[in-house]
Amino acid sequence: MSTPTNDPITLEIIQNSLQATADEMFAAMRKTAMSSIIYEVLDMGTGIMDAKGMLASSGAGIPAFIGVLDKAVQVIIAKFDKPGDIEPGDVFATNDPYYGGVTHLNDIVVAMPIFADGRIIAWTANIAHNSDVGGMAPGSLSGEATEIFQEGLRLPAIKIIANGEPIKPVMDIIKVNSRMPDVLEGDVWAAIASVRVGDKRLREIAAKYGTATFERAMESFMDFGEKVSRAALADLPQGTFELSEEQDDGRTFNVKITIGPDEFTVDLRDNPDQSANPVNTSRDGVMVAAQMIFKSLTDPYSPANGGSFRPINLLTREGSVFHAKEPAPIGFYYEIELRVYDIMWRCLAAHMPDRLAAGHFASVCGTFIGGIHPDTGRQYTIIEPQLGGWGASRQGDGNSAVFCGFHGETYNCPAEINEARNGLYVDQLRLNMEPGGEGKFTGGRGIVMDYRVRADNGFLTAGYTRSKFPAWGVEGGHDGSPNYVEFRPKEGEPERFAFVSGLATHRDDVIRVVTGNGAGLGDPKERDPDKVRSDVKNGLLSAERALEVYGVKV
Amino acid sequence: MTGSTMRVATDVGGTFTDLVCFETDENGNATIRTAKSDTTPPNFEQGVLNVLEKGGVDPAGIDFLAHGTTVVINALTERKGVKVGLITTDGFRDILEIARGNRPDFFNLHYRKPAPFVQRYLRRELPGRMSYKGEELKPLDMSGLGAILDDFRAEGVEAVAVCFLHSYANPAHEQAVVAEIAKLWPEASVVSSHQITREWREYERTNTAVLSAYVQPTAERYLKRLQDGLAGRGFSGSPYIMQSNCGVDSLEAVSRIPITMVESGPASGFWGAAELGKLIGETNVLALDIGGTTAKCSLIEDGQVKIMTDYWIERDRTSAGYPIMVPVVDLVEIGNGGGSIAWVDDFGKLHVGPQSAGALPGPAAYGKGGTEATTTDANLWLGRINKDYFCGGAIDADMESAGRAIEAVADKLGVDAAEAARGIVRIANNNMVNALKLVSLNRGFDPRDFTLVAFGGGGAMHAVALASELGVKKVVVPAGASVFSAWGMMMSDLRRDYFITRLVDLEAGGADSIESLFAETEEGARRQFADEGIDPAKVTFLRYGKFRYQNQEHTTEVLLPEGKVTDAELAKIRDLFHETYEREYTYRLDAPVEMVGIHLVASAEVGKLTMKPETLGDADASAALKGRREVDFALEGSHDSAIYDGLKLKPGMKFTGPAIIEDPGTTVVINPGCGVDIDAYGNIHIDMKS
Repeated sequence: MSTPTNDPITLEIIQNSLQATADEMFAAMRKTAMSSIIYEVLDMGTGIMDAKGMLASSGAGIPAFIGVLDKAVQVIIAKFDKPGDIEPGDVFATNDPYYGGVTHLNDIVVAMPIFADGRIIAWTANIAHNSDVGGMAPGSLSGEATEIFQEGLRLPAIKIIANGEPIKPVMDIIKVNSRMPDVLEGDVWAAIASVRVGDKRLREIAAKYGTATFERAMESFMDFGEKVSRAALADLPQGTFELSEEQDDGRTFNVKITIGPDEFTVDLRDNPDQSANPVNTSRDGVMVAAQMIFKSLTDPYSPANGGSFRPINLLTREGSVFHAKEPAPIGFYYEIELRVYDIMWRCLAAHMPDRLAAGHFASVCGTFIGGIHPDTGRQYTIIEPQLGGWGASRQGDGNSAVFCGFHGETYNCPAEINEARNGLYVDQLRLNMEPGGEGKFTGGRGIVMDYRVRADNGFLTAGYTRSKFPAWGVEGGHDGSPNYVEFRPKEGEPERFAFVSGLATHRDDVIRVVTGNGAGLGDPKERDPDKVRSDVKNGLLSAERALEVYGVKV
Repeated sequence: MTGSTMRVATDVGGTFTDLVCFETDENGNATIRTAKSDTTPPNFEQGVLNVLEKGGVDPAGIDFLAHGTTVVINALTERKGVKVGLITTDGFRDILEIARGNRPDFFNLHYRKPAPFVQRYLRRELPGRMSYKGEELKPLDMSGLGAILDDFRAEGVEAVAVCFLHSYANPAHEQAVVAEIAKLWPEASVVSSHQITREWREYERTNTAVLSAYVQPTAERYLKRLQDGLAGRGFSGSPYIMQSNCGVDSLEAVSRIPITMVESGPASGFWGAAELGKLIGETNVLALDIGGTTAKCSLIEDGQVKIMTDYWIERDRTSAGYPIMVPVVDLVEIGNGGGSIAWVDDFGKLHVGPQSAGALPGPAAYGKGGTEATTTDANLWLGRINKDYFCGGAIDADMESAGRAIEAVADKLGVDAAEAARGIVRIANNNMVNALKLVSLNRGFDPRDFTLVAFGGGGAMHAVALASELGVKKVVVPAGASVFSAWGMMMSDLRRDYFITRLVDLEAGGADSIESLFAETEEGARRQFADEGIDPAKVTFLRYGKFRYQNQEHTTEVLLPEGKVTDAELAKIRDLFHETYEREYTYRLDAPVEMVGIHLVASAEVGKLTMKPETLGDADASAALKGRREVDFALEGSHDSAIYDGLKLKPGMKFTGPAIIEDPGTTVVINPGCGVDIDAYGNIHIDMKS
């Protein structure tokens, strides 16, 4: 047995190496994935857990996936608890929120135990959105689903590789259940390659510094994360803050946040029962939302680990929309997670105006378009989140056209690649010029994007929130503008949707994606007149509205 | 002609303009001169003329002049370019502002998206559409162009960028607009995206065209003044300009598309490392360049530098940055150099960089008012740098200031000064190790198969510790490590990299279209070289294909076998792809493979320097011994060490560490047990103890 060192420089160097490993796992997965939602949108995340499944280090990607992997690994550890259940070279998978999957069935978590000195010293894991895992609709997501069984193949924390050898029957079952079997297989292998890269690297680090020192480094890294969080928590305004907000679908969501010197308590118990539609989330999903807002408030500049989140205390009610019970459908869980994130943000914004901006478009605006590519005859499926406007803050105008708070290091798909890969044309991609978001500082602009379909027998599925109630202004700033899809068929009248499932599309139909402008901050009359003139010159504002809203004659 | 040949390289850096001059007599014996003078913004050419004069070089006698300059990157980072107007496809004027929508600093709710280089009112559209296959879907309508140009003129625009959707597949619309602007507004500087790159991704290509237009007038003026200034002093030739792709190009070609110079500074050093490797029979090289504020590294496999077009400026963990789609040597740069500041955060953790003390105040030991400990101060404190020979004796090391600065760090850490200094060196080393891993392990290469070539002012100070960490077996510190970049420039060929996006299934029947794309591109390259007076027979080509499994996005680049691409060859090419892919990603798939594009390298030698080896002598290294002192090797403890004078080391000399080699530009730290020998070119070879 080696004795662990307490040399802070050695521990620091190991911690840097863990970070580098998580980043390397991310890069490996990104470059090998077959779904554009993984390699381009980067709807994925990587992380390193300690032997108990606590998050020791996280890679790049999207903030909403940072807090998922530890929960999945903990479920695997609990399920495979007998000697011999977990061996070197094994790889596990789960995608089911009722078995540690946290999100929805499209997101497969792949995890690998790391062995040294004959025992598990860590886990590497990743999560990514797979294009199709079966279920009742192409892309597996459908607003019509009433049970999770309709949303795809369920992998309830299972082993997929034993001692380095793929368990072929399991792999075959996974593959055959997808409408895009080759893509799913390629993506699962990309995930396996990624956890294996991490395995190799972590074993090298443990061998070099000794297992005990390696474990000490992970522990001290998490303790450090906790220390940073607690120090920042003490600087936040203390008290209990509450908010109720009506949703687009008529439900009212309530949140109560209590900030004390040692604890950040989010109480979501007083909320509606779970829905028969896929607009529920697991408790773990809500925890991720709480972790995201907490991290942004306390220590936004450094990577997160399990210690960062220790002060969070989450209260939910089983059977509610925020703590769904099997077999409730959860396909659009991310919109619900975002709603929780956004109401927590809104609830606190009034009390911490320097830390929190006005509301942003706050929807993933998940858009699913599929059909046959007329040039290749192959099936294509677009699965993409959209860019939108962010809210104004006391520091200035909001950003135009960035992904919502759920996403992060996420890239949109270039029109040139979209047209080559998918059977449609992108007729335009512009900033949204609708009114909304006016203020002393203005909200950023959403986008308007037209997809023109090139062949018959395609489909459109979408699920947008903040379609009725747009981004919320603060301190007298105007609200933003709504998110929606406008279907403009070649024949017939345009139709506007927030949620639509499996709408049939035909040649030369146009699917127009419109995302909201972020909300404004402060009275528009106080806006710097030079900025108003510049907005008019840039075509962002008409001379009439400049006079009407801002009182500036141009 | 006198029978001797004079080759000169000048390099304009942020602070200094460097000169290296090699004069070779008819027997191949070279004499080397170096000089340094201040960089003279904004008239950078003046600094070049000054350094030639200072070095005693008569421009009339120069046979080959290579020139590197930071004028482009400076114009970009200091926002000193011209006002640009953009003309793009109807429906896409906002692409430049929408960018890719990413938010790298994702927990930071106050993230600021980088502002576009062209404001919305100067981003204008024209109707007309191409398909991804290059077919015209909608004809170009230029009826609105005149009015757009009138607006641009009225707004003070000096340069116009043109980028249309799918111009990589068919540039006809861009060509038509450029020709029309030349007619309507001949004074304007104009560039279209396909002239710079033939790869897809409209935001990246548009931004590339815009940034190119932004620096073009500035760079063009600079190059013209340089040419005139040199001609005025009797230089009859034309300088070759260092490029980001490790080659040089003619002044005329660079003046047309100056953006290709953007990362030329590091490129010459990495090229030097590749050439040095070939010279000494070490063709697998990890190249490391440590300067005052940053460390840069790159991997050279089998003598070939890797050139990519995935280059961004101002991009890091907190900003999305701006893409520039030009051929740039694949490098990783981190904010860790000799001047990097060591600091302790609120939670007692030690960090080094990325903030730097720069040239002023510089490290605390400069005695110019710097109060913060830097890596250089720590190296001094540990006896690794000689306090009595600081900066080659040019500066009296202010050890009192250095001590105070290190004590301040030590107090916060709760350790003594020596422990703090060791901590600073170890953290700095770890940052550099991670950068070296990014270019090696992360790309599927094992650093143990590579030789570490270290240069720049600080490379040799850290190289042995880094090599030991990475398991590298050998370190080479080139002769003249501190002016190595200029040497690299003199070893460069005229080189052009052509990247073209073209989708082809790697199946029977696909070979013809791949071969014809290569053949056409090669023909175009030969023509271009011929127009510039280069004999087409002297142009050599390397053909790379960019491949992926169908449905993937990212590609793996593979060097193709010599000869024509035929259907019979496709199986071999597929195998090469599978092999390369598996090395990088640990698995291969039984899935169809497709080509996404080609990368053609065209090069021609232009007056490259030939190095002549000296005979290895049998003189004992003790002739170069200048003393002994206690040196702290951090992890390997403190040792009484031999100190050698680098200027007195001769080919054939050998000795063993612990030791230090000091020469005016750099200090080489040799850990205990490592063997040193000086090769026939004066390079220092360090064999790591096994």
